Amino acid sequence: MGAVVEALAGKRIAVCVGSGGVGKTTVAAALGLTRALSGGRVLVCTIDPARRLATSLGLASLGNLETRVPEAKFTEAGLAPRGELWAMMLDVKRTWDDVVAHHARDEAQRDRIYGNRLYQQLSSALAGSQEYMAMEKLYQLSTERDYDLIVLDTPPTAHALDFLDAPDRILDFLGNDTARTLLAPAIGAGKMGLRLFQLGGSYVAKGLARFTGAQVLADLGDFMSGFQGMYEGFKERAAAVRALLARPEVGFVLVSSASPRSVDEALFFHERLRTESIPVAGVVANRVTPELWDGVPLPDAGTLDRALAARGPPDPGLAERLASTLAEHEVLARADAREVGRLFAGVTAGQVVVPRLETDVHDLAALARLGASL
Amino acid sequence: MPGPALLDRRLLIVTGKGGVGKSTVAAALALVAARRGKRVLVAEVNTQERIAPLLGAPPSGFEPGQVSPGVFTIDVTPRESMREYGLMTLKFRAIYDAVFENRMVRFFLRAIPSLSELVMLGKILYEVRREERGRPRWDLVVLDAPATGHAVQLLRVPQVLLDTVPPGPLRRDAQWMRDLLVDPALTAMAMVTLPEEMPVAEVIDLDAAVRGVLGIHRAALVVNAMPDERFSRAQRERLAALGGEPAPLGPAARAGRLQALRAEAAGRHLAHARAALDLPTLVVPLLARDAWDRAAVEAVADGLEGSV
Repeated sequence: MGAVVEALAGKRIAVCVGSGGVGKTTVAAALGLTRALSGGRVLVCTIDPARRLATSLGLASLGNLETRVPEAKFTEAGLAPRGELWAMMLDVKRTWDDVVAHHARDEAQRDRIYGNRLYQQLSSALAGSQEYMAMEKLYQLSTERDYDLIVLDTPPTAHALDFLDAPDRILDFLGNDTARTLLAPAIGAGKMGLRLFQLGGSYVAKGLARFTGAQVLADLGDFMSGFQGMYEGFKERAAAVRALLARPEVGFVLVSSASPRSVDEALFFHERLRTESIPVAGVVANRVTPELWDGVPLPDAGTLDRALAARGPPDPGLAERLASTLAEHEVLARADAREVGRLFAGVTAGQVVVPRLETDVHDLAALARLGASL
Repeated sequence: MPGPALLDRRLLIVTGKGGVGKSTVAAALALVAARRGKRVLVAEVNTQERIAPLLGAPPSGFEPGQVSPGVFTIDVTPRESMREYGLMTLKFRAIYDAVFENRMVRFFLRAIPSLSELVMLGKILYEVRREERGRPRWDLVVLDAPATGHAVQLLRVPQVLLDTVPPGPLRRDAQWMRDLLVDPALTAMAMVTLPEEMPVAEVIDLDAAVRGVLGIHRAALVVNAMPDERFSRAQRERLAALGGEPAPLGPAARAGRLQALRAEAAGRHLAHARAALDLPTLVVPLLARDAWDRAAVEAVADGLEGSV
């Protein structure tokens, strides 16, 4: 059992975080599969619309509903799971709709929000919306479903902090009282069309309208009033989600490649999680070039050709290419080792190095092998 | 290739999956353009500045700063863009300060969906159109765009506003921005990928989104970090059998075998990308570098120079 799997043994929720392109989704799937193999109902929830994850799990596609990975797929890969593996992909718009429906006073309030032009853009356009809904979905799943482990693959954010800050930012937006005051005259005007004087002649509002156009403010007013009375519910929920993340049954897993940028982000994120008292269970250095040569100096072509000659025909061209290939390999391997060292010095949780896989992971068997090393 | 060559347009958008080397490619293309005597601005969007440090210069911030002969960089942030745009729209600083420095109003700037993307994109496209003494201030603007999904979100904002916002100042700005983006004589996109499965799958999806949603002219596919095929089939088979030998042969054979496997897989993914995209393809060889610094970017530029 690898150090990360071991650290997650008692956990009910694992959250994989890291910068884009580090193999987060694959690590999440491998962690889920490993637990399912040893027993337990496991759900992997991904944000990544990559069809490949679905394919490698033997599913035609992933949607907002949890789907069980078929038994036959395991048999095909020579695996005999003692538990169940389920997978789903987060649908941000649907999750927003569910949240609105949950908090709305009645169907009229719900439908008014659904029909608002700004709301329709909200799920894709409001910064942090995806992150907010990922957290919301995690909370729903952990309270309403009966999984032994939920593995959440987080959105590939350019700024890792979005993940923690987005709910607050969006709540600030939904619950902004001063905005309500400013928009009070606009509220109710709705799509009837808003003239500037309806903004109460406010200098500020007029200036703003000149900038955005008055109709945008009217839409916004309509939207804000649609949310009236729902803010408290949203706020309580966000606080509950935050509290959930700090519970001991949750383990964050930092995933990083050996690139300096991705290591910087992982370290930055680790620091932030520590400040927030959110438990970090493991750190995965993924796709690391393995070191093959620990001595110096590197062998030259002549030495290699003599060694080749002792094991078959000499091949000076091959020896020369091998010498330069090994030298190049070691440049990359040492650069990677330096970065992994930096990563592990900063993060004391369960540490695993995954060597660069020369063949891509695209079936359950390969995922299981990856999981075994985690 | 229809229209002008890649670097002879006014705006070149560089995008691709996170971690594929977009910034390096953007910086290298800027160096190539500068070597040809062009005055180039590289714009990064609301991120930790990478291009200037990569080229060995201090960060520029929101004012274009020269980082290399002919190459300037700028980091476009929502707040600064909003301020500049607001000043332009409202004409008077006093009005701007009263309106935009108002605590209440701050809220709106975040609340109106897509507004921060609009003003950032507006700033970049303003630089594309900007003139000084009757000629363009920049021969070329290179946009080091965010990763795939976020790039599409940023670049589709003008169209979204045209679809949803009633006539008014916002719509007027969205219109000229959209027109500039979809003009193939002025604007082109280079999509960057690694010769690996996931990045190739993502660049194919990106291509579909660019054609279907954005309408921006796709001018090139850049395949970064491509390993070369250096061993014959017979040599590869021999290497596979030698991996267990003691040093120095064993480790050298393992390094050779890993290189060969990687090159073979990369070749497959490159072929897949080429077949799926039907675009002029620029291949940047994999460079064994200890660190990514100016010398490394110059090396990438050397490799690209002959083909753009």
